[in-house]
Amino acid sequence: MSLEAFQRIMTSENVHFMLRSASYSVIIAICALVGGSVLGLLSASMKMSKHGVLRGIANVYVEIIRGTPMLLQIMLLFLGGPVITKSLFKFVFTPNPYVIGAVAVAINSGAYSTELFRSAIQSVDKGQWEAARTIGLNHWQTMKEIILPQAFKRILPPYINEFIVLLKDSSLLSSIGAVELLQSARVIGADNYNYLVPLLCATGMYLVMTLTISFFARKLERRLAESD
Amino acid sequence: MINAVHISKHFGAVKAVDDVSLHIQKGEVICIIGPSGSGKSTLIRCLHGLETPDSGELYVNGEKVDFSKDSTRQLAHVGFVFQLFNLFPHKTVLENLTLGPIKAGGVPQAQAEETAHKLLKRVGLDDKAQSYPAQLSGGQKQRVAIARALCQSPEVILFDEPTSALDPEMIGEVLNVMKELADEGMTLAVVTHEMGFARKVASRVLFVDGGKIIEEGTPDQIFDHPQSDRLKLFLSQVIHI
Repeated sequence: MSLEAFQRIMTSENVHFMLRSASYSVIIAICALVGGSVLGLLSASMKMSKHGVLRGIANVYVEIIRGTPMLLQIMLLFLGGPVITKSLFKFVFTPNPYVIGAVAVAINSGAYSTELFRSAIQSVDKGQWEAARTIGLNHWQTMKEIILPQAFKRILPPYINEFIVLLKDSSLLSSIGAVELLQSARVIGADNYNYLVPLLCATGMYLVMTLTISFFARKLERRLAESD
Repeated sequence: MINAVHISKHFGAVKAVDDVSLHIQKGEVICIIGPSGSGKSTLIRCLHGLETPDSGELYVNGEKVDFSKDSTRQLAHVGFVFQLFNLFPHKTVLENLTLGPIKAGGVPQAQAEETAHKLLKRVGLDDKAQSYPAQLSGGQKQRVAIARALCQSPEVILFDEPTSALDPEMIGEVLNVMKELADEGMTLAVVTHEMGFARKVASRVLFVDGGKIIEEGTPDQIFDHPQSDRLKLFLSQVIHI
């Protein structure tokens, strides 16, 4: 491999193509993180609920997702989704790989963040609930003002980690035809009969993104630690 | 003011509070003493619904407290000070004080802050308004916790061993604040191991053991003329009277 190969393959046009695809990876990861947080918070509160049925639903959700490969979940939703809607609602849709992919990754992330949220919320000292009660706050005010902000601090390190995981997992969407960063490298590789160069470039881009996120995460963590 | 009628509370097979009735009247300073594990903390926690009694009734200003519903509204003017302070670590001292009045009491922020500063001055900590709890000493934390309870404009404040978690040299500053409150006519009920405080400040002392009130009376009656053997034994073991 020579520098010449790099210059020949990584034309500005191809670099732009990869950067644009990398931005799709980031967008998919952000959508999955936001969707996964909503699902995770919902299923965490179901897990902590007094009602056995709600706890059961949350448990089934978490176990199914954690017990099967993510690649399978993505394919199931992409290939199986239209079949399900057809038989149930007589409605056929053409699945968009980006949208379906982001949804699948969100559903997956939600299951993992369920335990994250639950343990963080339950790790907040019981005395905080009691003190909030004595100053007249109700359950939801206590959750919002007292418990979640403290849980958030504990969640932050694993949560940032989850975002990095999602950014990497978004590469699985290449299997259903979404042109994210990894897929763009494969396309360029196929065009030029040289996979090594674009794959190395993709490696560099993934690292730049993940290391940047870690860097800002550590900064944020230090700032949040000020009141400790 | 607070009237507990035949309150009982079990933890498994242990009777922490066993059919206790207690009437706290306006202006009283009640000290509850007794050996560890006697149920005195559980008793005072029951008076704020922090433990739901298994049986018995609780009345605040004649109104029966409904434990099955959110009872915080009925107990809004009952302050509580914890052994471990339970300040909110992610909020400044000032925010710790104003959170309740603003969120639960609907008080405008400016007014809540003004009141908070006034109360912080009263416990001698107005210069710490912008500090976080972690930056304070134990005694300062407990004084902030007392100021936080005062922000509820309480008719009575309940204390659960307020000085038990403090270093010895910090106990005095907290007891002084409590004594000032008592002198100003605030109604207090205090679970404590500070016999000196109970003797000097209390208007009524309750001796609790085995979840029951064994003996009650003025400090003079309890400390100088104990009747029951259990109280005599307890007092003989508490050396620092």
